[in-house]
Amino acid sequence: MFGLLESGFQHLYWGNVLMLAVGGLLIYLAIAKKMEPLLLVPIGFGIILVNLPLGGMMDYQMQLESPSSGTVVSIDQEEGTRFDRDTILITLDTGPIESPVFGRMEASMVAVGDRIEEGDVVAQLITQEQTNQEEYPTTPIGLLSRIFKYGVMWQILPPLMFLCLGAMTDFGPMLANPKTLLLGAAAQFGVYLAFFLALIAGFSLPEACSIGIIGGAEGPTTIYVTSVLAPHIIGATAVACYSYMALVPVILPPIIKLLTTKEERKIYMKPQLRPVSKVEKILFPLIATIVVILFVPSSAPLMGCFMVGNLFRECGVTERLSNTAQTGLVDTLTIFLTLAIGASMPAENFLQPRTLLILVLGVVAFASAAGAGVLLAKLMNVFSKEKINPMIGAAGVSAVPMSARVVQVLGQKENPRNFLLMHAMGPNVAGAIGAAIAGGVFLGILG
Amino acid sequence: MTDWSFAIQIALGGFALVFILLAMLAGLVWTGARILSRIAKNKAEA
Repeated sequence: MFGLLESGFQHLYWGNVLMLAVGGLLIYLAIAKKMEPLLLVPIGFGIILVNLPLGGMMDYQMQLESPSSGTVVSIDQEEGTRFDRDTILITLDTGPIESPVFGRMEASMVAVGDRIEEGDVVAQLITQEQTNQEEYPTTPIGLLSRIFKYGVMWQILPPLMFLCLGAMTDFGPMLANPKTLLLGAAAQFGVYLAFFLALIAGFSLPEACSIGIIGGAEGPTTIYVTSVLAPHIIGATAVACYSYMALVPVILPPIIKLLTTKEERKIYMKPQLRPVSKVEKILFPLIATIVVILFVPSSAPLMGCFMVGNLFRECGVTERLSNTAQTGLVDTLTIFLTLAIGASMPAENFLQPRTLLILVLGVVAFASAAGAGVLLAKLMNVFSKEKINPMIGAAGVSAVPMSARVVQVLGQKENPRNFLLMHAMGPNVAGAIGAAIAGGVFLGILG
Repeated sequence: MTDWSFAIQIALGGFALVFILLAMLAGLVWTGARILSRIAKNKAEA
């Protein structure tokens, strides 16, 4: 009737409906609760788009090859029908041919009675699954699948986003008090704790690295590392990272209160930081790039882009480039990246027990990163004459500038004279560098 | 099957490398600030 049976209704199942609700929820949180709207609105909408069947925006075409020779006995899936992973599509006299992906049959290339050899193409499939391209190469045929493949999987969009973030980052507070680099380093403990817990939970090494890097609290770093090591979980890790970045005002305070005493939270820090010269701000991105990339070459795309963006900002002679990076370019990249990330979450991929595990491990990563920063700050106070307020250690969770703002608010509650924002910005931006290095280490070992 | 000894190497080695690198950067920043401040002071006195 009016082609309804050829519409998306035929392929809609409960998983799609649930994911439509998830997408709607993210959009609601973004618009009504103002939680990271620039990220969650397009991610939520991408989730909705990919879970409307037959929309085609995130479709990949895949040619199914026969694993063995034989004669076709039956074709078990009709063209256009939806199937799950490991569904038998074609039966040969020598055994069944199962689908390695979920999706639908676009066309069968064989007929009953045909004799086929190993490696012959037997069917053309349409899938939304992120496959290992060496094992199961696919061709993107939708708008968002093309953006995903050529933007995310080719590792173009995330490093460029990091360039824009570098242009928006002021390293002044960190340069004024370089000890805060250590607090940013301590916060990377969350990365490695989540990495270990992910292994214990049964994830593979590459998956565990992708889950661990959520603790770096940097969206582009998480997407970049996951796109290389475990692209099939990129949706879950990206949503976990961006959601928890928005939830930093909820995650950080209990951790801080648990690990500090009231007296420690009241520690006063002079509001005036040492003035940082322009020369320092220009030299830092150059020296940091050279030092870090020499030690961790695989961090080059992230560190290099981060620091060149920062140099655009600080050198004073590339104002146009800096302005572009901070405005038009970052907005364009955000649209492409977040829509594509949202669209990487079809129900068949997302609604699995491992997704819930990833979300739980993500919050553990964030919480332990904050805790480690606070504990190191307390340890530094043992050896330091001039005490630092240990709450600024929690700002090593590099959700810039939200973590620093949370510390500022908590600091003012405990001691209205305390203005901790600039002090907390030091570990906050140091955490971004730490996350890039941690990501580079994972990629250097497993990439 | 997870190679736990390799995983431990990744975790401990990775964390140590991040820490050492950032500590190195902290040292370089501190040293650089002092050198630049001394140069500026000498220029002002000269």
